[in-house]
Amino acid sequence: MNADDWLRTLTAELHQRRVAADAARHVVAEAATHLREGGGDPWVVFGPPQQYAGAVVESIGTAPGPRPGQVRLHAEGITKRYGRRTVLRDATLTVRAGQIAAVVGANGCGKSTFLRICAGLMSPDAGAVTVSGRLGYCPQSGGTADFLLADEHFVLVGAGQGVARGPARRAGRAAARQLGWEAGGDVQARHLSGGTRQKLNLTMSTLSAPDVLLLDEPYQGFDQGTYVNFWDQLSRLRDAGAAIVVVTHLLNQLDRVDIVLDLTPAQVTGWQAPTVQGGHR
Amino acid sequence: MNRLVVVAEMTLRELLRRRGVLLLLLLMPLTFYLIRRDAYLGQSVRSLLLGVGWAVSTAALFATTAARELEPRLRLAGYRPHHLYLGRVLGLWTVGLVISVPFFLLPMIDGADLRYGGLAAALLCSVAVAAPFGMLIGALLPREMEGTLLLLTVVTVQMLIDPAGSGAKLTPFWSTREIATWAVDHTDQGYLSRGVLHGLVVTALLVVGVAAVVSVRLRRRRHLRHLPVG
Amino acid sequence: MDSDRRGQWLRGVLDICVLALLADRESYGYQLAQALDAAGVGPIQGGTLYPVLLRLQKTGLVTAQWREGSAGPARKYYRLTDDGYAALRAGGGAWLTFVQPVNDIVTKGVTR
Repeated sequence: MNADDWLRTLTAELHQRRVAADAARHVVAEAATHLREGGGDPWVVFGPPQQYAGAVVESIGTAPGPRPGQVRLHAEGITKRYGRRTVLRDATLTVRAGQIAAVVGANGCGKSTFLRICAGLMSPDAGAVTVSGRLGYCPQSGGTADFLLADEHFVLVGAGQGVARGPARRAGRAAARQLGWEAGGDVQARHLSGGTRQKLNLTMSTLSAPDVLLLDEPYQGFDQGTYVNFWDQLSRLRDAGAAIVVVTHLLNQLDRVDIVLDLTPAQVTGWQAPTVQGGHR
Repeated sequence: MNRLVVVAEMTLRELLRRRGVLLLLLLMPLTFYLIRRDAYLGQSVRSLLLGVGWAVSTAALFATTAARELEPRLRLAGYRPHHLYLGRVLGLWTVGLVISVPFFLLPMIDGADLRYGGLAAALLCSVAVAAPFGMLIGALLPREMEGTLLLLTVVTVQMLIDPAGSGAKLTPFWSTREIATWAVDHTDQGYLSRGVLHGLVVTALLVVGVAAVVSVRLRRRRHLRHLPVG
Repeated sequence: MDSDRRGQWLRGVLDICVLALLADRESYGYQLAQALDAAGVGPIQGGTLYPVLLRLQKTGLVTAQWREGSAGPARKYYRLTDDGYAALRAGGGAWLTFVQPVNDIVTKGVTR
C-alpha cells in the first residue's frame, strides 16, 4: 500500500468512526504533510490506518451521531431449536435508521440463523420480528447464479422491483464500482474469482436501496482494498438512513458500529443472556 | 408479467450456457432413436419420445437445483412464488419446443410411415410433462445426484412397464406412449384422446405440485411483520 | 533501549516536552519531531506525536493555525495558549521535582 492508499484508507476509517468531517480532513492533511516532509513508510511512521484512526478518536472524540431515526428492525425473543440443541435463546435486537449493528459470537452459535430469521427465510420457535421498509439480504455464500453474467444478475434483481433493464444494469455497475470492481462484461459468475463473486453477491443485496440491510459475513475473499471500500460503502448507506446488520467474527471492527449483539451462549454457570451492548462511545 | 418473462429468459440463458445439458438434450433422444432404429418403428419412435422426456426432465432438474439458492433472494427482491415457478416452466417448455423440432424431422427424414400429427402431439406431450416433472423432483430433492437417480428409475419403469397394465397410467409419460401408439400403429381415435387427456391432467397436477412446494418454501413467515416506511 | 519502557516513559512526558518546545516559538508537527530527535529524546513517530498534539488542542493548551508554506505544502502551526503556559509551569515543575531524586538514586546505583 503506498502513501496515497494509506491516506485514503485513513480517511475512510475516520469517516466510519464518525469523526467530524473537518477534523478528519485536518488529520489526514497533517499526516500527508508530515509524510511529504519526512518521507518514510506511513505504516512505520503512523502505524496501520485503523490503529491511527483509533488513536485520533481517543484524542478528539467523535461527532455526536445524527439522532438515530425510527426503528427499522426489531427482533424480540428469538428462540430456535434444532432437535435437542438450542441454537438461539431469546435473542433481541433493535436497529434504527442510520445505525450499524454487528452480530458476533463463536462459530455455530446461530449468527446466520438469526439473520435468516430476521430476513423471513426461516421461522423461529418463538419470537417476532418487525421490519419497516425494504429488506435486503446477502447470504454468506451462494446467492449467485453460476451460469449468468453479472449484468444478468442485476436485471433479474431489478425486475423484482419493476426496474427496467437499462437502469438496473447501470445501478448494478455503479454499485459494483463502489466496491472497486468493473462489472460489465461477459464473464459467467462461476468463472469469477471468489472475492469478485462475493462482490457480486453483496451488490445484489444493495441494489434495491433497501432500508434494512442484513449481511452475513459478506467480505469473504475480499482483499484489503475491497474491504476498505466495503466499510466505506456501508458508512455511506448508513448515512443515507439505512439500518444495517452485519454478522462478523472479526472483532477488531467493533468501534465502527453502534450496536453489538453477542450471541455466544451463556456459560454453564451462566447468568449472561445474549445481550445488546452499546458499541463505542 | 415482466417478472415472469425475465425469469423465463434467465432460465433459457442459463440452459444455453450449460454445454453438458445441451449435449444431453440433443444426443440422448437421438441415441435412443438410433439404438432402436433397426427394430420395429414403434420401438424407435417410442424410444425417441422417452429420450426427449428424460432429457427435458433432467434439464429441468438441473435448472431448479441451480436456482434454489437464488430464490429466497428473489423473493426478497419482490418476486412472488408464482413468478418464479411459472417463469421457469415457461423457459423450460420453450427449450423443449425448440429441441422437439429436429426430432420431429428425424423420422420424416428417415421416411417413416406414421401420423405426423400424432408425432407432434406426442412430442408436445413429452415436453409438457417433462418440464414440471423435473422441476418437482428438483424442488423435493435438494441434490442433483439423488434427483437424477430418481429420474432414471422413473424412466426405466416407464420403458419396461406394460402400457395396458393396471399401474401403467400412474407413470408420468404414459400419455406419450398412447399417442405414439396412435401415430405409429394407426389405431383408433381412442388412443389419441386418452393420451391427450392423461397428458393434460398429469401436466396440470405436476404444475400444481411444484406450485405447492415452492409456495410453501417461500411463504410469508408468520413471525415477520412488514411495515411500510413511515 | 527497551522500546516498551521507552514508550512508557514517553507516554508520561511527551506532552510536557511538546509544551516546552512550543513555549519558545510556534512550530508544526514535523519540526517538533525533528527537534525532539535532535535534542536526544530519540525518533518520535507521527503516530505517537499527533495524537498528543490533538489532545493538547482539545484541552485548550495549544491553538493551531494552518499556514501556507513558502515552498511546499500548507502546515498546521501550533502555539501555546495562556492555559498552556500555566500547564507547562505546573507540569514541568512537577516533573523536575520528581526526576531529581530519581536521578540521584539511579546515579548512585549505576556508578557503584
